[in-house]
Amino acid sequence: MQQIVSREKVQFNRDELTNKIEHWLGPERVPKQFNIITDTTDFFRVDYDDIVILGDKPYLVRNNEREGRFGIDEQQKFWVKRARDLSDGSVKIIKLVFHERFEAKVGGIVFECFRSPKKEARILDLTKGHPRFMQGFSLNDSSNNIIRIVDYIKGKTLADAILTCGGDHEDYFYNHFPSILDEYIELAEAIRFLHQRGEKHGDIRRDHIIKEKETGNSRWIDFDFNYLHKENMFSYDLFGLGNILVYLVGRGDVTFQQLLQADSPLVGKLTSNDMNIIFNNRVVNLQKVYPYVPDELNLILLHFSMYAEVFYENTEQLLHDLREARDRLHRS
Amino acid sequence: MDSKITNKRNILIAVDESENAARSVSYVRDLLAGLPGFHIALISIIPEPSEDYFMSESERTAWIEDKNASARSILEGYRKLLIEAGFGDEDVTVHAVMKECTSIAECILKEQEKLACGTVVIGRRGISKKEEFIFGSTSNRILHTARDCAVWVIE
Repeated sequence: MQQIVSREKVQFNRDELTNKIEHWLGPERVPKQFNIITDTTDFFRVDYDDIVILGDKPYLVRNNEREGRFGIDEQQKFWVKRARDLSDGSVKIIKLVFHERFEAKVGGIVFECFRSPKKEARILDLTKGHPRFMQGFSLNDSSNNIIRIVDYIKGKTLADAILTCGGDHEDYFYNHFPSILDEYIELAEAIRFLHQRGEKHGDIRRDHIIKEKETGNSRWIDFDFNYLHKENMFSYDLFGLGNILVYLVGRGDVTFQQLLQADSPLVGKLTSNDMNIIFNNRVVNLQKVYPYVPDELNLILLHFSMYAEVFYENTEQLLHDLREARDRLHRS
Repeated sequence: MDSKITNKRNILIAVDESENAARSVSYVRDLLAGLPGFHIALISIIPEPSEDYFMSESERTAWIEDKNASARSILEGYRKLLIEAGFGDEDVTVHAVMKECTSIAECILKEQEKLACGTVVIGRRGISKKEEFIFGSTSNRILHTARDCAVWVIE
């Protein structure tokens, strides 16, 4: 059960906290009543306008974060709170402990997944100061739950950001994609950084890269996902990296259904070998759709197609091919 | 005696609870039982999940005990099978190895090196291309990375 502590038990009294809220958010945002919480075990009871004391800092809880991949299908993540750090006014993401173990199914393949606060805390430490990862720290609440406090990154996902780059695809590919590929290579290098240290990201997908509005720098977010790997600990991360690359080259997914709807002559030319090995409706052989995609780059994409006989086993192999492909593109 | 010949006659069979492991053991039994000079090392690699997987130390301890007991039971079953077929009691050893593995194939090959086995026997699960893509294939990895030993992949 969540413990609602009385003001006598924490180092802040209500007047102090009220003053801080007023200072950072304005008098109109001071709640008439608020709970002061130090034990976040029951995260459903940590609510809007509550104050959570973690370490020696008070945080004013705002909204629950949402899983934002599909837009219309957003789900609230009740264990992830947006909050204001009342010691300096900054916006933080507070990730409470939610142990979850379940079977995931990708392309008909079932594997055991779990959510781990410990893993995320470890990676936050490991990547402290790294420009390609979200930044933050972890600490224990009064019930020893491992809480992660993460800097809020203002910006769009990289996936959304590229959708508005350029006019038609050719313009995008020649004038914007080279710098996007540079960015992607740095993001893949960041994943190699994890792998070399025996960690996996665990949930590589396109909405887990945020492009920081202020700096234009893209960062990986959300490292609390883990799974029981089989032969290769890193191959699921590589699968994620491949999907993102295909998306970036195509400036979005190119699906068979889209081509069919557009009555594209390509429909008759595509074979199953041109499609994503797992998501069979997505075109991976993008050179067939955009003939100016060079061979070197397209061959990387084909590693993620039904056609592939050989798969990338580690990030170094992927990076090696990416650098070669990048050299062939016009410098932006 | 030539050390290379000695190594060749040290045969590592990687096993788990699967059908293909049973086929690997049967293959070696049918091929070599009764022939002198062969030593069989039955190995079961138990990939230990990272500490994140467990919610408590007691859960972790129970998991380890359960997996070790299960591996030992499988190994002893196969050892008995080989001895009954004619291998000497002292020529069949069992090794349950629990460790964190970034690759199971690498863990098997480390044991091969440690036990100076000149032959590695492994079953092929016949996994789909999709599954190999997402998780990798232990038999393929061993085929591609094994050095200084023969590899028998049993279908």
